Amino acid sequence: MQSKFSNSTARITRLGRRGCDLMEALGRAGVFLFQSAVGVPSREGWRLWLHQMHFVGVLSLAIVLVSGLFIGMVLALQGYTILVDFGAEQALGQMVALSLLRELAPVVAALLFAGRAGSALTAEIGLMKATEQLTSMEMIGVDPLRRVVAPRLWAGFVSLPILTVGFSVVGIWGGYLVGVEWLGVFEGSYWSNMQASVTFVDDIGNGMIKSAVFALVVTWIAVFQGYDLVPTSEGISRATTRTVVYSSLAVLGLDFVLTAIMFGGL
Amino acid sequence: MTDAPFIEIEELYFSRGDHEIFRGVNMTIPRGKVTAIMGPSGTGKTTLLKLIGGQLTPESGRILIDGQDVHKLSRKALFTLRKRMGMLFQSGALFSDLDVFENVAFPLRVHTDLPNTMVRDLVLLKLQSVGLRGARHLTPAELSGGMARRVALARAVALDPELILYDEPFVGQDPISMGVLVQLIKRLNQALQLTSVVVSHDIKETLSIADYLYLIADGQVVAHGTPQTLDTNQDPRVSQFIHGEPDGPVPFHYPAEAFYRDILGDSPKAQIG
Amino acid sequence: MKRSKTMEFGVGLFMVAGILGLVFLGLRVSGLTFSAPSQSFQLEANFANIGSLKPRARVTMAGVTVGRVEAIELDTEWFDARVVLSLDSELEGQLSKDSIASILTAGLLGEQYIGLSVGGDPEMLEDGDTIRDTQSALVLEELIQQFVSNMASN
Repeated sequence: MQSKFSNSTARITRLGRRGCDLMEALGRAGVFLFQSAVGVPSREGWRLWLHQMHFVGVLSLAIVLVSGLFIGMVLALQGYTILVDFGAEQALGQMVALSLLRELAPVVAALLFAGRAGSALTAEIGLMKATEQLTSMEMIGVDPLRRVVAPRLWAGFVSLPILTVGFSVVGIWGGYLVGVEWLGVFEGSYWSNMQASVTFVDDIGNGMIKSAVFALVVTWIAVFQGYDLVPTSEGISRATTRTVVYSSLAVLGLDFVLTAIMFGGL
Repeated sequence: MTDAPFIEIEELYFSRGDHEIFRGVNMTIPRGKVTAIMGPSGTGKTTLLKLIGGQLTPESGRILIDGQDVHKLSRKALFTLRKRMGMLFQSGALFSDLDVFENVAFPLRVHTDLPNTMVRDLVLLKLQSVGLRGARHLTPAELSGGMARRVALARAVALDPELILYDEPFVGQDPISMGVLVQLIKRLNQALQLTSVVVSHDIKETLSIADYLYLIADGQVVAHGTPQTLDTNQDPRVSQFIHGEPDGPVPFHYPAEAFYRDILGDSPKAQIG
Repeated sequence: MKRSKTMEFGVGLFMVAGILGLVFLGLRVSGLTFSAPSQSFQLEANFANIGSLKPRARVTMAGVTVGRVEAIELDTEWFDARVVLSLDSELEGQLSKDSIASILTAGLLGEQYIGLSVGGDPEMLEDGDTIRDTQSALVLEELIQQFVSNMASN
């Protein structure tokens, strides 16, 4: 009896410690975000930012565009077989465009971005930490948050919305290829139905807001995991995994919240 | 040049988790000399350097560098102070995205507004002094461990600091590059009138360059003095370390229960039960 | 140096492509036009039942879109729905006092919108006036109920 009681006390203690650890990590991450994101970039900072834009943005373009094309094509194919039963295949353009702009483009692009760029950022910063590059930078009198983390954070924040736009454009074009060129939906109704139902502010604008939020969260998680990891090879591999898992969960969870606020009438 | 010590460490306490690393360390590090801090692995020698560099904050006690309390400085003042220090890391810690030349130029570029031609001259000068002027276009990945450490040394002295902290400079070096490093540290110290702090457990090399030695164990300074006085020190802990005896006050065995019990399989639980 | 130049060029291209993509989405997908937001004036209309009419729904005349629904609220005096319409200003002073506003449905299950048709009154509607003559939304359930009771009485 005695041991059972002390067992459960120990468990509660452990739970409490977990909670404290979590809060502490969140606080650290918040301070970290503030310290790295705030501040005026120098000329050197612009150059570093440009370099990172290439690394996280341009190099992620291919995978994002190819995925966008296929998702647009699949949407058109699936949508057509459903809509044709109601004789409503003219609404195909509307369906493809709305699902892409509101949901699929921001979410799928963010997930791909987390896998492609986020994990790379974590591993890169983690390796710099493990090889004492960050410490030595600090000893030289340069703040690694400003020099290493900030350009990556901002590059991620700017890149993902651009990638999302690319995803949507290519996806809508993919839907056009399948729906109009292949399945024979009338071209005029593909575009006009789309234009009649898609609004710039509500659909495209909200999609972009979603994408910007995801961009911030994914890059934040990625650079923080890299900066905060245990500097061993095991630590790096764990942190990389954590980046992908946490940012995917965060993206999907936040997507629900944002959708509820934007389109759910909350 | 005054005779006041460059670094003063007073009653330093530091622990990581439940593990006490320093329990009241006192040291004075004289200006313009090579001071070695030695001790067995795991005694927190690297931690001590990080405390001096202001990257870690002690629980109590203070560290004065040239009269300034490192841990009471604002972030900005600390970064200014760090411009007067160079640190050589165990792994070299060269920036992997820059080549050798840019690595050495890095401190100059961030802290000075020198024109490019002057930066170039200075960098080549520093690289010449470590004998790697020809390797300026290589990337850190192409360097051997010893060369990387020499480049790192050139980078550490790029801003002509007053203090250099060496973290285990001799670990994992072949005899030739070890000799090169010993020579370099000695020469740099004399040529630039530097104050050097060498953290190491390579006794022979360290004794050959150090003017003064501190030996730390169990979170405290157990002995200090010139190499000659330490060599003849009678304290068993000191002589074990200096003469490299495998067993002594620092036991060969990690704390364990009696060997025969382990072998016979009498687990303590079974006995209690 | 050359490598960094191509990299800068690539990043520039990437960002321009992003902006062009957004322009494409704006123009081609959402049908955004850059004509200055036309001046508008407002009319009100009370309906006994608006069905599923939503704010921002179209207001048409002879099938041509001439404005949109600005707001819908409950009129607590008569307990019917007051709908505020925002119409192109070129129609200001052109619609007769006895114009009819009716809630129509696009197709059998489509969205609901408002159709205006003019009458013959010499007096014209001005900004802020109320359209007296309205036709409520067709509610399918009521229609069926009528049909069934007609059948029964026959």
